[in-house]
Amino acid sequence: MSAALPVATARQTGGWLFGQLRTRRLELAGTLLAGLIGATASVVPVTALGRLVDLVREDAAPAALIPIAVLVIVAALVGGLASGATATLVSRLGERILAALREETVGIALRLPATVLDRTGRGDLLSRVGADVAAIGTAAAEVLPTVISAILLAVLSVTAMFGLDWRLGAAGLAALPLYLAALRWYLPRSAPVYARERIAIGERSQMLMESLQGVRTVHAYRLEARHLAGIDAASARARDLSVGVFTLFTRFVGRINRAELVGLATILVAGFWFVRSGWVTVGETAAAAVLFHRLFNPVGMILFTFDEIQEAGAGLARLVGVGTLRVAAAGEVQLDKADLALDHVCFEYDARVPVLRDITLRVAPGERVALVGSTGAGKTTVASIAAGILRPPCGTASAGGVPVDELAPGVIAVISQETHVFAGPLIEDVRLARPSASVEEVREALATVGALDWALALPSGLRTPVGEGGHPLTAAQGQQLALARLVLLDPAVAILDEATAEAGSAGARALEESALAATRGRTTLLVAHRLTQAATADRIVVLEEGAVLEEGTHDELVTAGGRYAELWKAWQSRS
Amino acid sequence: MTESGQLPAPAVNVLWRAVSRNRWRLLAGCSLIALHQACEATVPIVIGETVDLAVASGSMARLALWVGLLGLLFLLLTTAYRNGARQLMRALADESHALRLEVAAKVLTPRVDVRTGDVLTISTTDADHASYLLDYVPRIVGALVATAVSAVGLCLISVPLGLVVLVGTPVVLIAMQRAAPLITRRVAARQEVAGRASSVATDLVTGLRPLRGIGAQEAADARYREVSRESLRATLLAARTQGGFQAASTMVSTLLAGGIAILAGWFALTGRISAGELVTVIGLAAFLGEPFATLSAAPSWIATSRASADRIAEVLRAPSAPSTAGHPPVLPTSGECLGVVVETDAASLLRLYDDGSPDVLVAPHYPELFSGTIRENIVLSEKSGDLDRVLDASAADDVVAAHPDGLDHAIAERGSALSGGQRQRLALARALLAGPRLLVLHNPTTAVDAVTEHAIARGIRDLRHRPGSTLGTLIVTTSPALLAVTDRVVVLRDGEIVATGTHASLAAADPAYRAAVLR
Repeated sequence: MSAALPVATARQTGGWLFGQLRTRRLELAGTLLAGLIGATASVVPVTALGRLVDLVREDAAPAALIPIAVLVIVAALVGGLASGATATLVSRLGERILAALREETVGIALRLPATVLDRTGRGDLLSRVGADVAAIGTAAAEVLPTVISAILLAVLSVTAMFGLDWRLGAAGLAALPLYLAALRWYLPRSAPVYARERIAIGERSQMLMESLQGVRTVHAYRLEARHLAGIDAASARARDLSVGVFTLFTRFVGRINRAELVGLATILVAGFWFVRSGWVTVGETAAAAVLFHRLFNPVGMILFTFDEIQEAGAGLARLVGVGTLRVAAAGEVQLDKADLALDHVCFEYDARVPVLRDITLRVAPGERVALVGSTGAGKTTVASIAAGILRPPCGTASAGGVPVDELAPGVIAVISQETHVFAGPLIEDVRLARPSASVEEVREALATVGALDWALALPSGLRTPVGEGGHPLTAAQGQQLALARLVLLDPAVAILDEATAEAGSAGARALEESALAATRGRTTLLVAHRLTQAATADRIVVLEEGAVLEEGTHDELVTAGGRYAELWKAWQSRS
Repeated sequence: MTESGQLPAPAVNVLWRAVSRNRWRLLAGCSLIALHQACEATVPIVIGETVDLAVASGSMARLALWVGLLGLLFLLLTTAYRNGARQLMRALADESHALRLEVAAKVLTPRVDVRTGDVLTISTTDADHASYLLDYVPRIVGALVATAVSAVGLCLISVPLGLVVLVGTPVVLIAMQRAAPLITRRVAARQEVAGRASSVATDLVTGLRPLRGIGAQEAADARYREVSRESLRATLLAARTQGGFQAASTMVSTLLAGGIAILAGWFALTGRISAGELVTVIGLAAFLGEPFATLSAAPSWIATSRASADRIAEVLRAPSAPSTAGHPPVLPTSGECLGVVVETDAASLLRLYDDGSPDVLVAPHYPELFSGTIRENIVLSEKSGDLDRVLDASAADDVVAAHPDGLDHAIAERGSALSGGQRQRLALARALLAGPRLLVLHNPTTAVDAVTEHAIARGIRDLRHRPGSTLGTLIVTTSPALLAVTDRVVVLRDGEIVATGTHASLAAADPAYRAAVLR
């Protein structure tokens, strides 16, 4: 059931990145220029000082120092500015691209078909828009500038060695195969451990989160020790993997050290022969050795952040992967007031078990129809088809004669069992339905559903932050907000799917009043477990095993003595 | 750290404990990392000597000797690093694991109130960041040793050069620290806004279904875009500050290194030091940038650890509220099934019953399930009762039958794939199976249909209140179906009993009661 969201291939990710860089050509050129100036300013003084060594050996006059001193000082000033500029420009470029990417990703996530979301589960999407974006953000701000400067410095240092003498440059490159070999040894060994570590960390977070969210149950059943043991085990597993991969890392560092030694020794030994052969000066050899020694840190930086860069790359592939999803264009037809009609609709989740069989029902403009039936009768499926969330294999769903999937978003509004209070000021939560709504209109909507009194009584009134991290609201208050959003939206058709069921019976009746007020005069299809709610509807449709069993007003059905009458009797419990 | 006197006490405790309970590994790690850094600082000296004594002289024997020495130096350096770093990593991993568990244990302690979202960050990111202290300390020690070795090396060549390092380093570092608070502030602002953007995204995706229900995709998109742009602005501001700092610090440290090299050049040209010694000085001056960078970054590292330690300490010190178990206004007698109708604040009434004894179970109204199979969610102890009868009584047998794997069906994402009614019935089965002497239920059937509700009411009665049973059940509800099977109903208002009777007698005689329960 959880087929994962797509992950972009390396080619797709690279192509995307290239495309982004191409649209920012000037910025890119400026960034690279600053980087090159910085690296040059850092390399030139070393070669100049190498020249100084030769001047000393030639017993030159002290005045020979002046041009070199000037060069070193100017290079320090220019280099400092350039390195600061590079850091700023690299993170600016990276962050702008990232901002575009995260906005695109969230935009697509918000428009994904509900069926895709049901299939993949929300966890994956949440970790992409949350953790992945954060990880890439940190990488772009902190790792990328250092790594790019390091790469430029490495390239320029080797170039400078070649500039001193091509033979010295060649000697400097002798260590390159060893560096590559170290990487080739390390990456294939560490990658699977890192992957396992990530999974273990994910499990650890999952354990923690579940225990925290279910803390009332944990306490009620005295499961504290058991849950703590679970967290302990998951955390210990992640810890052991971290320690294991680090042991591997220290061996990798050993191999890097070996490459450094070989490179340095090669330059010194080769320099020894070249000086004896008269090809290079002692000063040039010294400069080459110092240049190479100065590369230890930046090269280490590149190699040691390889994992982080790979990680960020994987995150990038996951974000770009979301971008490859097709989002069907939303319908555009607007309706003012309309009927809702299902015509010979059937549905099945699994080929063996039909869920709905030949359902035909019509809700007249302004009419309120309640859908009633025991658990599993197919009520929610009917509501989902009417809302255009599910597409029936046969039959049609339409509003005002227009197929529901051609309607603009918000023409048919659905309030499902799943309520969510959006984090932020309460007024903004309601305004999601219509961002242009005035404060007065929001107040009216809240008043209609009976939520204005408690909303005004909150610490900062309508500006009080609610939702995650804000002022806690009861389940019933959350549902009233959902109804207020519906009122503010003022849709042509409203579908309420058990909107009052979870509130607990104390608040359920008040909520029924709210729902009644919110749907007054509105074309409404109402899925009801609480029969009092059904009783207030204009008409009731009784669903049983995926088919319409009875249809009529409350009084008609009670008198008829069929299934509804039986349910009503049970509900009343006057027996 | 001179600042340690000003640290708020809780963070110090967490950090100090991290140091003291890992002291042996930390000591071994610090010593080996110090040795490693001393070796690193010796490398430029060996390079200089090799150039001076071997390359310049053309003596093969000397070349072999010095390259051999370089090899030995690297052997020592890499061995010291490997062993030191492993000790430290072990200490760090143990510490963050320990902190994580302490936070988790604290939060799972009854009656401690900590917000869920924060706790996840505190037990993961903050536990890591606080334990990174065990990495920072040896790095700082190593950088100090490297600077000292370089200074000594320079002093051996020429005392004035060594003095420049010894005087220049602290001056430069102190100057750099003046910028540190601004950078810390900007970075903190960047992280704060980035965190906000991330939580807006998470919030919108979490509420995706309600959002799409009202066609608010566009509005939500615009909302995220706004906070994303704000995050970008904060990031760019921080990047500019960091860039400015980097420009200044690079400039100053290269000027210091260049100044030392120029001074050494002058000494060499005037014959006070040799050409080879000049090479050593140039190498050492260039190398000094490394410990410099470490020492200039150190205060912000420590600040990060401290901030995390603060947050951990805050959780660990959270007082546990006094027990709210008290004198409940009414208790079922032996074998009685008691209905309670309460008009306000059922939550505080329920807390009165939760005295922590294993004989009492106050089942939460909200049905919370955990990852695992249905069986693992329901059967919580070995001494549980008859599972089949319980499943039947709670009408959870349908839920089990609806899945091909039955009781072994794996529940994903806290049961989000199950309907509210299915979750509620599983939670009820769990409560019934536990079979406590006193079971307190709160609105256990709000998400099931009327027929099922009846079946459950009869099921509870049959399971717990057969003739001769001594078990007590208290059901806080306004559901007539449940109240109808109770032996006695008590109506509470503001904690006081206002009416007592059977459901039938109260329904017949008391209009207020009728209004409260008959729908």
